[in-house]
Amino acid sequence: MAMRELVTGGAACAVPGSSSSSNPLGALANALIGSSSQKERLQEIPTSTLNTSGSGSGIYSGGGEPLSALPGSELEHPLQHEGSGFINGFHAANDQTQRLGEIWDGIQNPHFPGIQGQTNFPLHQLQPELNGPPQRVLSSFLHSFVNSSHGGVPFGPTQLPVLGLSEGDKRCIRDRSSIMARHIFADKTEDFINGQVNALLSSLEIDNHGGLVREHMPGRYAELDQYWGESQVMGPRPHADGWADEFSQQHGGDPNAWALSFERQHGAGGWASEFQHEQTQMTSVDRMAGANIPSLAAMEQTRMLAHTLAQNTNPKFQNSKFLQFVSKMSRGELTIEDNQVRPATGDWANEYQQQYNAGPSSTSWADQWADEFANERVHHGPVDEQWVNEFSKLEVNDWADEFGRQVGEGILGDDSADNWASAYDEYLNEQAVMKQKSESSRGVYVFSDLNPYVGHPDPLREGQELFRKGLLSEAVLALEAEVLKNPENAEGWRLLGVAHAENDDDQQAIASMMRAHEADPTNLEVLLALGVSHTNELEQQAALKYLYSWLRQHPEYGKIAPPQLSDSLYYADVARTFNEAAQMSPEDADVHIVLGVLYNLSREYDKAIESFQTALKLKPRDYSLWNKLGATQANSVQSADAIYAYQMALDLKPNYVRAWANMGISYANQGMYEDSIRYYVRALAMNPKADNAWQYLRISLSCASRNDMMEACDSRNLDVLQKEFPL
Amino acid sequence: MPAFKTPFNGYAVKFSPFYEQRLAVATAQNFGILGNGRIHVIDLSPAGPIAEIAAYDTADGVYDVSWSESHDSLLVAAVADGSVKLYDLSLPPTSNPVRSLSEHTRETHSVDYNAVRRDSFLSSSWDDTIKLWTIDRPTSVRTFKEHAYCVYSAAWNPRHADVFASASGDCTARIWDVREPGSTMILPAHEFEILSCDWNKYDDAVIATSSVDKSIKVWDVRNYRVPVAVLNGHGYAVRKVKFSPHRASVIASCSYDMTVCLWDYMVEDSLIGRYDHHTEFAVGVDMSVLVEGLLASTGWDEFAYVWQHGTDPKAP
Repeated sequence: MAMRELVTGGAACAVPGSSSSSNPLGALANALIGSSSQKERLQEIPTSTLNTSGSGSGIYSGGGEPLSALPGSELEHPLQHEGSGFINGFHAANDQTQRLGEIWDGIQNPHFPGIQGQTNFPLHQLQPELNGPPQRVLSSFLHSFVNSSHGGVPFGPTQLPVLGLSEGDKRCIRDRSSIMARHIFADKTEDFINGQVNALLSSLEIDNHGGLVREHMPGRYAELDQYWGESQVMGPRPHADGWADEFSQQHGGDPNAWALSFERQHGAGGWASEFQHEQTQMTSVDRMAGANIPSLAAMEQTRMLAHTLAQNTNPKFQNSKFLQFVSKMSRGELTIEDNQVRPATGDWANEYQQQYNAGPSSTSWADQWADEFANERVHHGPVDEQWVNEFSKLEVNDWADEFGRQVGEGILGDDSADNWASAYDEYLNEQAVMKQKSESSRGVYVFSDLNPYVGHPDPLREGQELFRKGLLSEAVLALEAEVLKNPENAEGWRLLGVAHAENDDDQQAIASMMRAHEADPTNLEVLLALGVSHTNELEQQAALKYLYSWLRQHPEYGKIAPPQLSDSLYYADVARTFNEAAQMSPEDADVHIVLGVLYNLSREYDKAIESFQTALKLKPRDYSLWNKLGATQANSVQSADAIYAYQMALDLKPNYVRAWANMGISYANQGMYEDSIRYYVRALAMNPKADNAWQYLRISLSCASRNDMMEACDSRNLDVLQKEFPL
Repeated sequence: MPAFKTPFNGYAVKFSPFYEQRLAVATAQNFGILGNGRIHVIDLSPAGPIAEIAAYDTADGVYDVSWSESHDSLLVAAVADGSVKLYDLSLPPTSNPVRSLSEHTRETHSVDYNAVRRDSFLSSSWDDTIKLWTIDRPTSVRTFKEHAYCVYSAAWNPRHADVFASASGDCTARIWDVREPGSTMILPAHEFEILSCDWNKYDDAVIATSSVDKSIKVWDVRNYRVPVAVLNGHGYAVRKVKFSPHRASVIASCSYDMTVCLWDYMVEDSLIGRYDHHTEFAVGVDMSVLVEGLLASTGWDEFAYVWQHGTDPKAP
C-alpha cells in the first residue's frame, strides 16, 4: 500500500464519514508527500517541503508554520478523543488537525505537565568546533601534546582535574560502564538459569547469583520502580548505585558477600576484610574522598563483569579488547580522569606496596595485600596487558601515583600500616589545599642544590653553548647560574624554560617562562612558549591568555587584536583572530604554529596537523615543530605518521629527550612494546630525572612480559636496562 | 564489499533512504564509556574502496544516527552527552552541526526519524524519557516520561504518523500515540532489560523486541498476552532488532555475542542466517530500503560492513 494512501486516509485507514481528499490531515499529507497538483502549496509550506537536492534554506529557521505542529502538542487543551485511537484500529484522529492555530498557541505557551519543565536547558548555539557542554570542552581538551605534557611535578593542579567537572565525567563513566555491565552480566545470569550457551559460570559470583536470580526475577519490576521512587526523593542519582544495591541484595543483602566470596575463591587472608575496613573508614572523609567510594563500587562491578567474561572459553571473547578494558578498569589499573581513560601507572595500590616494602617497617598485612595484588596481576596474564596500547595516552601525573611517591618519601611520617586509611584521608585534604595553593605557587622555580656553574664568568654563554650541543641537563645548571646572577635577564630565563621543556619537565619550564615573562612582558617567544606549555598542561584559559597576548604584542598583528577581548577570552574569538592573522601573512610560520596549538585545544587534530605542516614548510628545521606535529598525529590515531615526525625531530636534534620519549609512546600505542622500551631507555639515559618516562617504561615492560627487568626499572638501574635494550 | 575501518568503536549504522550507496556510521571512543565520538558518512562504489563523504566529530560518543526522511542531506545523531545533533551534508563542516538540542539529562541512546510525517523525530535517553522534536523548532515538542529506567530505543510506526514504540531497561516496551497524554499500552515483554524494538513494515500491529535475555520476541499489539514468536539463538544480549523493509517476516538482529543474525519469524527454523564477521560486540545493524537483501553492521571492533545477504561480509 502506498504511503500516501495510508496517510491521506485511503481505503485501509479511512475514517468513516470523512473523505480523504477533504480532511485536513489529507491535505497535510498531500503537502508533505507532494504531488504534481500540489506545487503551489509546497511553496507555502517551506518547512514541510520534500527536498532531495540539498537542503532547503528554510528548514532550520524558526518554524512559525502552524502546519508543522505535531498532533499531541495540543494536549494542553482538554482532551477530546476517546481512549486510544491506536488500539481501536489505528484510525487517524483527523479532527485534531483542525485546531492548528490553537496548537500553535499551545506550543508557544506550553502548560501541559508532561511538556513543562523539560526545556530548561539552553540551546547551545553552535560554534564550528566541538559543542558539548562547556565543561567538556574545558575538561577534555587535548589529547594533543599529551606526549609532551608530562612535567615530573608532584602536585601540579593539572594532575587533579577541576573537581566539579571531572566528577561528572567520572560519574558518567561509572554509570555507563555499569549500565553496560548490566546488559551483559544480567544476561550471564539468564544464561546460567536456562543452561544455554553456558560457558561462563565458574566464577563464584555467578554461582551465588544463579541461585537467587530466579526468585528475584518476578520482583524485578517492582524493585526498579522502587529505585525510581528513591531517585525522585534523592534527586538525580546514578543508576549505577541502584545496580550496586541490587547486586548486594542478590547476595542475600550482605554487602560483605563480595569480599567473602573473593576471599574464598582466592584463599586470601586479610585482604578483603581490610578492603572493607578501609572502605568504611573512607565514608567519613570529606567530599573528595567520598567521591572515591562510588568508583570503588564501579570497580567491583566492572571487576565482576570482567571476571564473568573471562570465563568464556570462546576465543573471540578472550581476545576482546573490551573485555580487557573492563578487566583493567576493574582492577584500578585504568583510572578515569578528565574525560580520558588513563592507565593508573603504578596505581596507588601498587605504588604504595612498592614504597612500603622499600621502607623499613612493612608490616605483614601490607605484604599480604601486595602479594594478593601481584597474584591477581599474574592470574590475569599478559593478554590483558595489551589494552594499554588502546587506552594509554600515558598520562601518569595521576594523583594516585603521587600518593605512592609521598608515602615513599615519608611525607606521611607514619610507618604504621594501620594508619593507612587516615593518612590517605589527610592526603586528600592536603591535596585540596595544595590545589589552591599550587595555583599561586605555580611559578616558583626550584633551583638545583649543587651548581658547579655558580661563579662562572659567563654562565649565559656557557648555557647557550651547552644547549646547542644538546647537553640539556648541563645547560639547565649553567642557565640557573645565569639567572641567579642576573634575575632580570629574560633571555636567560627563557632559554632555561626551553631547556626544561625539551628535557620533558613542563612544570619547571612554565616557572622559568613566567619569570622570563615578568622580566620582559612583551617577549613574543616567551608568550608563545607559555601558551604551548599551558596547552600541554590542559589549562585552556591560561593558554588562551598567553596566546592572545602574543597576538597583542606582535608588531604586525597587534592591530587586529582588540584589547577589550583580553578580558573575556573565548576560544572561538581567539581562533578567529588568529585565522585573520594567518590570512594577513601566510608566510609567518609562528602564526601557523599557534593555530596548530589552538586546534589542539579544540581537538580538531586534522586542522592542527594541517597548520603544523604549513609551518613546517616555512621552517623545516624546527625540531620542536616536528615534535608538535608528531604529538598531534599520535593523538589523532596516526601513530605511524607520528613516528616519522619524531624521527625528523631527532634527526635535527639527537638529544631531544622529549622526542625520544614520545617515540616510545607511539610505539607502545601500536603495540610494539619492545621497541617502545628501547626508546624510553634511550630517553632516560639522557635524562634520568624524567619520572614520566620511568612510568612508561614500566608499563611497556609489563606489556612486553619483561617482568624480569622490572626490578632494574624500579631501582632505576640504567646500566642493566641499556645493556638489555640497546637501540 | 570492502569493510570500512572507523577510528572509534562502532555504535550504529544506517542506510540513507535516498541513495542506495550511502550510509552513516555512528562511533564512540573507548566503547562509548568515555571520550569523543564521530559520525562518518560513507559511499559504497561497485568496484573501488568505500569513500568517506563526511565525518563529524563530537565531544562525546555518538550512540545512534538516523537519516532524515525529508532531506537527503540531513542527519540526526544521538550523542552520549545527552544532546541530539542535526547535521547537514550540504553545508560546510564549519556550519555543522546545524542544531544541537540539549534537553536530555543523560545519554541519548537512540534517534528515529518519522518516515510518515517526515518532519519530526524521536530521541530516547538514559534519563528515562523520550522526546519528540521537529527540525524547525529549537526545543522538543513533547517529553514522554513513563519508563522507570533507561529508554534504549524508540521507533515510529511505519504507517501511522503518530504512533511509536519504546524499549526500556524497566523490562517493558510501550506503545505511544503522540495525541494521547500517556502511553497507550505497556508490554511487559521480557524479564530482563529490553534494548531495542522495531515495527513490522507490512503489518502495522506487529513489533519485535530484543532483550538482555538473549531473545527476540515478536508481538501483535492487538493481542499481547503471548508473543507471536520467540527467537532464540543469540548467545548474549540482543542489542538491536530491525524488520526487513522488503519481506514481512524477516528480522535482522545483532548481539553482544558478536554475530549478526537474520530471522524469519513465520517459519519453524527461524534462524535463516548468521554472520560471524565481527570480532567484538556487534551493536549496529541495518537493512537497505533501496536494495533488497543488502545488510550493514558495525561493532566495537571498529569496522562497518556492508554485504548482500548470503554472501560473506568479509569478502573483498
